[in-house]
Amino acid sequence: MPERVVEVVPEEGLHARPASLFVETANEYDAEVSVGPEGAADDDLVSASSMLAVTGLGVAGGEKLRIVAEGGDAEAALDALEALLSTPEDEL
Amino acid sequence: MSERRLAGIDVTPLAGVGTVVWYRPDADLPEPPAPEDVDGEAEFAAFEAARDEAEAELDEERERTAERVGEDEAAVFDAHAQFLTDPQIADGVAERIDGGLPATHAVRETFDEFVEQFAGMEGKMAERADDLRDVRDRLLRILTDGERVDLSALPEGSVVFAERLTPSDTAQLDPERVAGFATVTGGRTSHAAIFARSLAIPAVVGVGEALNDVADGETVVVDGDAGEVVVDPDEDTVAAASEDATAPVREGAVETVDGTEIEVAANVGTPAELGPAAERGADGVGLFRTEFLFLDRDDAPDEDEQYAAYREAIETFPDGRVVVRTLDVGGDKPVPYLDLPAEENPFLGERGIRRSLGPDADLFETQLRALLRADADTDVGSLAVMLPLVATVEEIEAAETVLEGVVDDLRDEGVDAERPEFGVMIETPAAAFMADAFVPHVDFFSIGTNDLAQYVMAAERGNDAVADLGDFRQPAVLRAIDAAARAAEGTDVWVGMCGEMAGDPELTELLVGLGLTELSMSAVTVPAVKARVAEIDTEAATALAERALAAASKDEVTDLLT
Repeated sequence: MPERVVEVVPEEGLHARPASLFVETANEYDAEVSVGPEGAADDDLVSASSMLAVTGLGVAGGEKLRIVAEGGDAEAALDALEALLSTPEDEL
Repeated sequence: MSERRLAGIDVTPLAGVGTVVWYRPDADLPEPPAPEDVDGEAEFAAFEAARDEAEAELDEERERTAERVGEDEAAVFDAHAQFLTDPQIADGVAERIDGGLPATHAVRETFDEFVEQFAGMEGKMAERADDLRDVRDRLLRILTDGERVDLSALPEGSVVFAERLTPSDTAQLDPERVAGFATVTGGRTSHAAIFARSLAIPAVVGVGEALNDVADGETVVVDGDAGEVVVDPDEDTVAAASEDATAPVREGAVETVDGTEIEVAANVGTPAELGPAAERGADGVGLFRTEFLFLDRDDAPDEDEQYAAYREAIETFPDGRVVVRTLDVGGDKPVPYLDLPAEENPFLGERGIRRSLGPDADLFETQLRALLRADADTDVGSLAVMLPLVATVEEIEAAETVLEGVVDDLRDEGVDAERPEFGVMIETPAAAFMADAFVPHVDFFSIGTNDLAQYVMAAERGNDAVADLGDFRQPAVLRAIDAAARAAEGTDVWVGMCGEMAGDPELTELLVGLGLTELSMSAVTVPAVKARVAEIDTEAATALAERALAAASKDEVTDLLT
């Protein structure tokens, strides 16, 4: 299954607007995307299409995330999410 | 019956008077019916219908907020929409309906589970709990068919009381109809507070449980300037609150009858207050409290963030002066990253300039750099830097050395920095006594009457039992003001005042008589004070001041003023 480890650039971390855009983006793809802190076991990953779950991770700016995608457009989904997380908040 | 004052946190420099309307969106739901009486399919359909309606409302409010307040504040509704349609919510509600609960109770329990989870987390996460409550209450309102107060259709002159107001609640308030709001919980930087300032609604938050004792239909004044809710207000209090809102705005400098120009400026706490201050005819900013940049956050603002705020202030008053007070915090303020020690008596402890020359020296230098860069990059307006809680000449000299070092550093970096106007607050008795020794070091004095009165009279500001002692009309307070004003007389040092005393039109003549040439106050009182200045004759004002200084009691002073 394609997966990536990506650093969260927005200073606020994965809250509010960055989290909102993250969930929105994940939902645009057919692939099932799940996410967790770097090093999280498969069972500890949460659904990237749930705002509650994503916000509930409590990820701060500068921390790293493990993102796993499964499905036809998995790579495209990962590209989009990586680009989003690599953008400072004021440019989002 | 006499009026009662409930203290809270001041949010908007505006006062309003009106009738209490309690808004209790999370009022208890009726007992749920027995599980066997619940039609699960119908309840889930009701939930889905409510969810669709809530989504449509959020869309609409998002648009409205983007127009009225701004894109940044509107973004919160996107997050709400995502919580609303979150699969975990739908699953939780479906599960509970299967278990025999009606949609209302299923929604409440599902959301409350997540609210609790988020509320237990730190910092930013706790704010998400507010967002979830907001979405929960919206769904419950729709499900119970709006058996709640409709905030967008309140009678004119309503004062909304609530446990808390969510961004959605606040966005519905119509400033034309709502006279103000007050909440039990909440802080100065809560969403509700930001909305209130943007929409110019008088507001006090964080009043505490005492607010619950005020009933629907009572008359109250919400004084968002003093941070008070006045229940059963006296005629005078009502008149003052109403007058503030109606005095006509005067643009440009005002002079006394005999031609002495008096600068009437505004006290501001956040950049959001700058625009409204200019609209009320303030000539400039006489006190820009910079604490807002530092409070309620996890780390100190960097130089660029401060720069942006200061630059905005200077540019808002292209023809005026912006007096910025350097960071004034002590053991009574919540600034987690500063490691402020718990002190036995924080008002007499390490605060204000004492910290800036001690443990917060780095922050002080960063703040001065941001200020001087903002000044250098603006061709309009002018900047003045003011030190809080000064008591000795050595403190001024030490701060001056830091300031000069910053000017030199910036010039080395190619910034066209200049030494700004430099002054001190007169708020300790020591500063009033030693003002003549301060004169060679400064360009101005600004008398901070709230603290000066408290320190001169040894009477705590927030303590009603000693409020009479801490009154500005106490002759001892007037003599302290006079000491500073006399020290500056005949020199190039100008003397102003920031603090509540400066915003009371009944005291304007006395202050002009004492020799003050700048008065800075909450923006809301600027029009009334400007109108008063234009009626004053300085000779009569001087005579009034002389009589007040000779008075033996506060009552004598009060008699002279009426």
